[in-house]
Amino acid sequence: MRHARVERWSRGTSSIHSYHPVARILATGVLLVTIATLGPGSSTACALYFTLLAGTALLAGLPLLELLVSATVVLPFALCFAVISALSGDSEQAAMLLARGYLSALAALLLMATTPLPSLFSGLETLRVPRFLLLVMQFLYRYLIVLAGEAGTMRDAAKSRGGGARSIEFRQAAGAAGVLFARSFARAEAIHRAMLSRGFSGHMPASEGRPFASSDGAFLLLAAGTAIIIRVNAA
Amino acid sequence: MHIPDGFLKFPVWAAMDAVAIPVVGVVAWRAQRNFQDNRVPLMGVMGAFIFAAQMINFPVGSGTSGHLVGAALLSFTLGPAAAAIVMTAILAIQALVFQDGGVLALGANVFNMALAGVAAGYLPWLLFGGRQVGIFLGAALSLLVSAFLALAELMISGVPMPVPVLAVSVGLFLVSAVMEGAITLVVVQAIERIQPGFLRRPAASHRKILAFGALAATVFAVTAAIFVSETPDGIVSVLRRAGVSAPSVGLFHSPVADYQLDSAMAPWLSRSLAGLAGLVIVYVVCLVIARMITASRPVPRREGA
Repeated sequence: MRHARVERWSRGTSSIHSYHPVARILATGVLLVTIATLGPGSSTACALYFTLLAGTALLAGLPLLELLVSATVVLPFALCFAVISALSGDSEQAAMLLARGYLSALAALLLMATTPLPSLFSGLETLRVPRFLLLVMQFLYRYLIVLAGEAGTMRDAAKSRGGGARSIEFRQAAGAAGVLFARSFARAEAIHRAMLSRGFSGHMPASEGRPFASSDGAFLLLAAGTAIIIRVNAA
Repeated sequence: MHIPDGFLKFPVWAAMDAVAIPVVGVVAWRAQRNFQDNRVPLMGVMGAFIFAAQMINFPVGSGTSGHLVGAALLSFTLGPAAAAIVMTAILAIQALVFQDGGVLALGANVFNMALAGVAAGYLPWLLFGGRQVGIFLGAALSLLVSAFLALAELMISGVPMPVPVLAVSVGLFLVSAVMEGAITLVVVQAIERIQPGFLRRPAASHRKILAFGALAATVFAVTAAIFVSETPDGIVSVLRRAGVSAPSVGLFHSPVADYQLDSAMAPWLSRSLAGLAGLVIVYVVCLVIARMITASRPVPRREGA
């Protein structure tokens, strides 16, 4: 499971992991913008960005190869358009689409692999992302695994009642989705009742984070500065 | 279609972020203000439901299968504002945790699927007072609008799109739209059979429709104006790439000639105004047709069997 592996990585104890989440989020943001605005023919800059990301991953004590393979999830989409680009005679642009897509995914993955979700959410809250949206995202992520398990169980049950996975018909699939919907709804109500019984008053307690220290600022300056210097020299 | 980072040009993703962020902020603020306290767990769990429901394969024909996308289903069961928030949360989790869709492109993806997709799905549902046509059309339209917006954004960003590829994509979009319509319809029927009352059937109120339509039209007009002023020849080149040659472009000349009302005005202003006027005309025509359909066929509301 992809999210389980990323969560395991995010619990590391390196210096990269220990900076304030806001510093890592902002550094990633700057990095993404500088990568996204790279023009055609900046292969040196791409190599430098790759080195920067890989170096940070090594500093954070992450398994580099696994991380690099993990970031290839964007390649099917990117390859599809790169091939079209190459076929219409613009191989330069094809290469840039691939490089920018891959580097951006790697940067986002690196953020997730060094930031546990609770501190990512508290960082986003500091950056004024609407609290309500963040709450919904937290619930969504928490019950994602539960409901996916439920769907898997239902599929196994359907198979054991005599159908192969392939022979489930359109209507039966709809029935399964309907049952899953009703169960999800009931679970949401049960969760809410459980929250009420534990004293939920309509608001979640604010998550407390540590203050933004000068070492966090130094990390942000160094990371964002490097990204900007690479970008400016590529232009 | 989740657009990853690195595919959209700076003006495109920046503009989409600039549109999506305040809209999501306002919707979230409203949702929080009208806080019914069981809504937060419900919205989160329903978002997780959409993820899980996408694991269910719907067989279509020989060996191929489709799955639910869900924007329209969410708007039928939670209402459009909550559905937009849940879809935004889904897209954000997909972008962050699963690297499915870009972080900078999140604004574009949220606009395509969570805002325009939900609005396009909810309008027919509202228009047809929650009847089956509305369910099918809503789900199909929701998918079509999201997919075409994504395609347009990619093209405006200069991702090459030769005519055959474009034709294949449009064909795929149409097939997926019909599939999403059919899947959503049967799932809604299954939900109704299990427990009627999950669906928030709208009373067909024309004021609501007008307000909603005006909102949607304004959003589209503003976005179109931004696109048109960013890339003045964007639309023309899109049309040309789509294989629309000069004679058929002439078709658009009669109502609002060359998208310009008066050459004395600033070109981007007159273009946007002409676009807006065209939009209003199309919108009024649609409204009249819809009223004619709803008035001439008083189909009794289907209750859960």
